[in-house]
Amino acid sequence: MTKEATYWIALAHLPKWGYLKINNLIIKFFHEEKISIEDFFNLPESIWSDKYQLTPQDISDLQKAKSELPNNAFFAENLSSQGFELIPITSPEYSKTLKQNLKAAHSPALLYIKGNKKILYEKSIAIVGSRDAGKNSLEFTDNIAKLASKDFKVIVSGFAKGVDKQALDSAIKYTGQSIIVLPQGITTFSSGFKKYYRQIVDGNILVLSVFHPKAVWSAGLAMARNPVIYGLADEIFVAESSQKGGTWSGVVDGLRKGRKIYVRQPEPNEKNANNLLIQKGAIPVDFNGVENPNSEQMATTSIVNKPSMDTIEDRILKVFNGKTLSAKEILEKLKLDLTTKELTIYLQKMETIQTVKKGQKNYYTLKSNQQEQQTKLFG
Amino acid sequence: MTRNELEHKLKQTFKLDRFYDDQWETIDRILKGERVLLIEKTGFGKSLCFQFPATIFNGTTIVFSPLIALMRDQVRNLNNLGISAKCINSGQTQEENSQIISEAKQGKVKILYIAPERQENSEWLEAARQMNLSMVVIDEAHCISVWGHDFRPSFRRIIKLVNLLPSGLPVLATTATATKRVEMDVASQIGGNISVLRGNLLRDNFKLFVVKVSSEDEKLIWLGKNLDKLPGTGILYTGTRVDTEIYSKWCEHLKLSAIGYNAGLDSDSRVAIENGLMSNKWKCVISTNALGMGIDKSDIRFIIHTQIPQSPIHYYQEIGRAGRDGQTAYIILFYNPEDKELPESFIEGGRPSIPKYEKVIDAIKNELLGERGLMRKTNLKQTPLNVIKSDLIEQGIIREVTVGKSKKFEYITNAPALNTKIFEELRNTKKADLDKMIEYVETSQSRMKFLCDFLGDVTTHNFTNCDNTGLKKITVTVTEEWKQKLQDFREDYFPILEVEGRNSNIVNGVAASYYGVSNVGAALHRSKYETKEDFPDFLLKLTLKAFRKKFGQEIFDFIAYVPPTVSGDLVKNFAAKLSQVLKFPITHDLVKVRETREQKVFENYYLKSDNVSGAFSFNQPNLLVGKSILLVDDIFDSGATVKELGKLFTTCGAVKIVPVVIARTVGGDLIVK
Repeated sequence: MTKEATYWIALAHLPKWGYLKINNLIIKFFHEEKISIEDFFNLPESIWSDKYQLTPQDISDLQKAKSELPNNAFFAENLSSQGFELIPITSPEYSKTLKQNLKAAHSPALLYIKGNKKILYEKSIAIVGSRDAGKNSLEFTDNIAKLASKDFKVIVSGFAKGVDKQALDSAIKYTGQSIIVLPQGITTFSSGFKKYYRQIVDGNILVLSVFHPKAVWSAGLAMARNPVIYGLADEIFVAESSQKGGTWSGVVDGLRKGRKIYVRQPEPNEKNANNLLIQKGAIPVDFNGVENPNSEQMATTSIVNKPSMDTIEDRILKVFNGKTLSAKEILEKLKLDLTTKELTIYLQKMETIQTVKKGQKNYYTLKSNQQEQQTKLFG
Repeated sequence: MTRNELEHKLKQTFKLDRFYDDQWETIDRILKGERVLLIEKTGFGKSLCFQFPATIFNGTTIVFSPLIALMRDQVRNLNNLGISAKCINSGQTQEENSQIISEAKQGKVKILYIAPERQENSEWLEAARQMNLSMVVIDEAHCISVWGHDFRPSFRRIIKLVNLLPSGLPVLATTATATKRVEMDVASQIGGNISVLRGNLLRDNFKLFVVKVSSEDEKLIWLGKNLDKLPGTGILYTGTRVDTEIYSKWCEHLKLSAIGYNAGLDSDSRVAIENGLMSNKWKCVISTNALGMGIDKSDIRFIIHTQIPQSPIHYYQEIGRAGRDGQTAYIILFYNPEDKELPESFIEGGRPSIPKYEKVIDAIKNELLGERGLMRKTNLKQTPLNVIKSDLIEQGIIREVTVGKSKKFEYITNAPALNTKIFEELRNTKKADLDKMIEYVETSQSRMKFLCDFLGDVTTHNFTNCDNTGLKKITVTVTEEWKQKLQDFREDYFPILEVEGRNSNIVNGVAASYYGVSNVGAALHRSKYETKEDFPDFLLKLTLKAFRKKFGQEIFDFIAYVPPTVSGDLVKNFAAKLSQVLKFPITHDLVKVRETREQKVFENYYLKSDNVSGAFSFNQPNLLVGKSILLVDDIFDSGATVKELGKLFTTCGAVKIVPVVIARTVGGDLIVK
């Protein structure tokens, strides 16, 4: 963790500032003035008020936050020692998808994470729905998760009962990757870290929170994390929604922001608000996530199920997601029609792949320059 | 404020007239909110460099120090000056520590001393978030560096903390012992435009001697003859805990005023000995190097080493505790070429084999494990496991996290592979340092200059303070009379078995000898594994002597013996012979209810304990109500078996259980917690 963590905690949790105000300030000092957050905090009040147009109340908030920096250092040290990482919005590690979807008005200035942060770069889908969703919805969720995992897409889950939980369980079942977006502070998720220990170690789960690390679950936080789930996903599937509650408001909010949202076409006798969402502009899909379920030949336009045009090489590049794998593991994951030996020769010829020796065995991973770099705040 | 104004304050608060220039330079920088690494010899007055600014600042100054004794001393001195200083440490009760923490939160404490380990404590971390902090001090800062002589993993989190502190908050790191390499390492780890201030480290008041001998006997004899002739009081450093015991028993035998000290003693005993040292209660305290770091006693008049330290920097650090008042101090190092083997074995055996590392990595990759779980999964001893854990944490492969209230080890996602090259490099550095230490013994030049050169301290001073530069060399003469005294001592000295604990009526027993120190171990081994014949009679005599020495004419209701795993009836027959001589009836009712394996196949206490737990039963428990029992076994290692039986007998109603064994091994693996 960089030494700036202390300052980011101070800035991200300024009381009553809101994402837009904080992000506008970041844009100003980071992009326009090109100074670090540390330098910004060390500016005299006169510059805060003249150049940054901050009000006396703003300045008083900042001064208070500044006086608490040494205390934040203790806090940040402990977070880091417990394995939590901080990703500020200026970091190239911050999810590009999130930033593009939520823009300055809704992007959280600071992400708290634990696990394989490289999956923030991957193509992702969210499957959302009610806590008490029915059998059809859960089967749909399972199927979509299966297809997505097969396609190396990361599943974003809100870790609520019902559809959220099903999406996560299915991702694990099909050894896909997932992001758990917490409705609480990240330090209050001990039981989850215990439960998903193996998946986190293996790089298949990333836990993410945008709230103060000590915040406990509340209905308010649960609502507030919905935009983050939608924001982190390239595609959004709704398994089931009633006419109120988190899913409903989340989808309506998403549609208002112009997101493309797919909703499971319900059976005629189902009691839910899926059709209402379709009327509001969401796109109906069938069991396989295929748009316009009544037309057979449209199946090829499926979002998750479209036949992969990737060459073997592309598929290999996608399989790593920040992990180190043996040839055998790659073979199993990709179900390639090759022997381990043939694949090994292939891997060793690929310039983008690097061999890692562990004991007697060879493992493979992507060379580090294959990771995308991201420099601009809101591109 | 100007230096003048501040010196006025200094006089008011600390009753001192002025700062030394070097002190002032440090204080001036600290007051400006800078970061400073201060390397100055013991006795320079390093602590004033943070104590004084702390009294100027509004809030609380936090001092991380690994040395409880030093913290206590400084707190006492500050309180005497009317400055509010407190110390949080593991020697105090939880209530005391909580009380101090809450006072600190209210801003009632100016200077708060804490051990680096405290940074793992959630109560402390919570409190630190609410305090008004003025400055952070890292005492004994060489402990940060793996290239130093005393690297401590608990400083890792302190470094992390310091890196997260905002600019403008002053940070002072101090040490009396840092080579150039350590200096650079520490400075770069603390970072933040740190300035390094280094004073010279020579100690002109030392009189340095090296005594070459060819046996342990010569050391013991010289000491017996000369200890009382040395001026004042001092410290004798041995290489091992067992040696502290043997040397102090030897002094006791000769009625010399001395006491043994090592990290295995309980906290109360340690405090009592530290206090006794301060008040010159004994001529000499005999200790491993656990004692003395940071003890603020200005008039230690001699320091003797019976074992060559690992490097000149270890040696400089240890002798640095002498003569802080500037008066003459005698610094004597004994060297028998064989002594090299101990530091060599530390260096060679300091790191476990790579497969053991892999075993630990695999175990932690598989599940979140605590200390015990890890020992059970890997069957590794505490010491190698600690080394492995520390290395894996250092390399970013695992981390220690707090889950609920317990500590667990977790594997770090996307961790790098184990880097074994760094181990090689560290080992080579240590070997080179040991060679340097031997060079110190062999040199014909000034010994002080040799040490200063090693520390990177440039000096042109002309030294005349060692046995190469004018002082008379020390030699040892062995007489028949002293040989006999040593023989008498060896036949009259018996190791104690420390087994007392809660919920058991077992009391500390006695062994006839250490396993490896005399011919006893060899005799036991021959009977058990080669001849399969009864233990020889001299072992019976020695065991009886040990029993009589510790328990006199005390009468026991029964003699019980530990049922065998592989050695057949050897222990039973031995117990029967003891029973004949002592006239205590023998009982054969102690039996195994399930098979156990030989304890020696298990490497750590938890597995040994699991191996024997519930493995025994007593056929007629009613017989034992209100009785005392002498429990006989051949070898005492971790004590797990004897303790298990102590509990069994206690449950049956026995009121006293005393273990007596033929030999006790050295370096058992009991966890000291």
